[in-house]
Amino acid sequence: MLEHRAKLLRFLKARGAGEEAEDLLQEIWLKIARSGPDQVRVTAPLPYLFQVANSLMIDRYRSSRQAALRDQSWLESTGGDAENAQAMPTPERIAIDRDLLQHVERALEQAGPRAAAIFRRHRIDGVPQREIAGEFGLSLSTIESDLRAAYRAIASLKEQSDEA
Amino acid sequence: MTIDPTLREQAVHWAVLTGDPQFDDWDGFTAWLEADPAHARAYDEVAAAVAEAAEAFGAAAMVEPAHAAEPANDNPALPPGQHRLPRRAWLGGAIAASLAIIATIGVLRSGAGSVYTTAPGEVEVIALGDGSTVTLAGDSRLVLRGDDRREARLEHGQALFDLRFKGGRPFEVAAGADTMRHIGTVFEVRRLNKATAVAVAEGAVLFDPAGRRIRVNPGEGLTRRDGSNRIERARLPGASVGEWREGRQSFRDATLGDVAAMLSAATGQSFTVAPGAADKRVSGSVMLDPIRRDPASLGPLLGVTARADGATWVLEP
Repeated sequence: MLEHRAKLLRFLKARGAGEEAEDLLQEIWLKIARSGPDQVRVTAPLPYLFQVANSLMIDRYRSSRQAALRDQSWLESTGGDAENAQAMPTPERIAIDRDLLQHVERALEQAGPRAAAIFRRHRIDGVPQREIAGEFGLSLSTIESDLRAAYRAIASLKEQSDEA
Repeated sequence: MTIDPTLREQAVHWAVLTGDPQFDDWDGFTAWLEADPAHARAYDEVAAAVAEAAEAFGAAAMVEPAHAAEPANDNPALPPGQHRLPRRAWLGGAIAASLAIIATIGVLRSGAGSVYTTAPGEVEVIALGDGSTVTLAGDSRLVLRGDDRREARLEHGQALFDLRFKGGRPFEVAAGADTMRHIGTVFEVRRLNKATAVAVAEGAVLFDPAGRRIRVNPGEGLTRRDGSNRIERARLPGASVGEWREGRQSFRDATLGDVAAMLSAATGQSFTVAPGAADKRVSGSVMLDPIRRDPASLGPLLGVTARADGATWVLEP
């Protein structure tokens, strides 16, 4: 378990946590401890701890980007405070928000109907890739390849909207 | 920000792999990240975009269950119902940090099941809900399946089940070619040396519920070796199941000072507390045997560090 700690710390640092890696590790332990009944400590397997740590880092990235965008909106808006800027984004932002799902669906269609179906099964229904391979009668590497196509399409879509 | 296409392709590759609950090459992923700080940034961009796209579906499904099944519309005008979608921000939106953690747990518990493994000397307590737990001994591997996590397969090793479910379907444990169904509360299953064994402390277990339906009562044990139809039944010597059970020590909001004193008495190892930490409170449940063999393993179980100082183990918060 102490070896787990060293590995997780190294991972968090590689993931860009910097000097906050120790604090984040503590946060992860606490989250897992709280998830147990009657405060019984749940000791989780290492891959699970990595998953939690990775999700935490993605979350932090999203939060920091959100904060940066809020600041930017605030600078662009004249006379409004930060809160108003967030509540009343630019017309471009409103359009992007409204169309998000439609844009995502279109991007997925471009990746192919099978890739779109596999993406939904995996990311929305939460079915592991190996199990999807069984359901679709495909190899695991085909599932991965289709998911890469879907992810690529979504990443491109985001880049376009970032540049809009 | 536009990412270099080669780098983005690598990021997409890792985002697909790490997005799977069964992904286990975290060392490989760490090595890729360490090769260049730009890798983490590229990965974050892709992973965040995919998470947000998936959440857009989730939000739509909550508001309009039928919508997600509709094909993409070539007409850029929005169908009337779509205006009712909660405003999802592609570039922001309200994100609760805890939500992503909960989502991860959900994925890990769905589909092919959660896999728990322990190294030699390691002990793991898995919470099943309703106050039920599985204590996994060292060098063991257990898979939990089903939305309610009531199908377990002990692939290897030893596990103590303490089941306190109120209602719902019966909990079943498979080991080797055998299946056991829980009737009562506390029992142990071993899957070692090509044999399956069950020992009951409280309640009862139905061995082979779909066939022979052999009831194993408290204080009884049963063993079946692979390739043999003979079932060996035995009265368990003394309190052997109880011994395993009593070999576990639970603490609730106990001070580190109390923990050190109790563990010193129970294990024969010498535990002390770092200066100023004696009143720090901890909760947790530890098995005494592994602690006796490897006192340092106490640390993560109680959320403390156990540091060797000569023959003494110093507990630090």
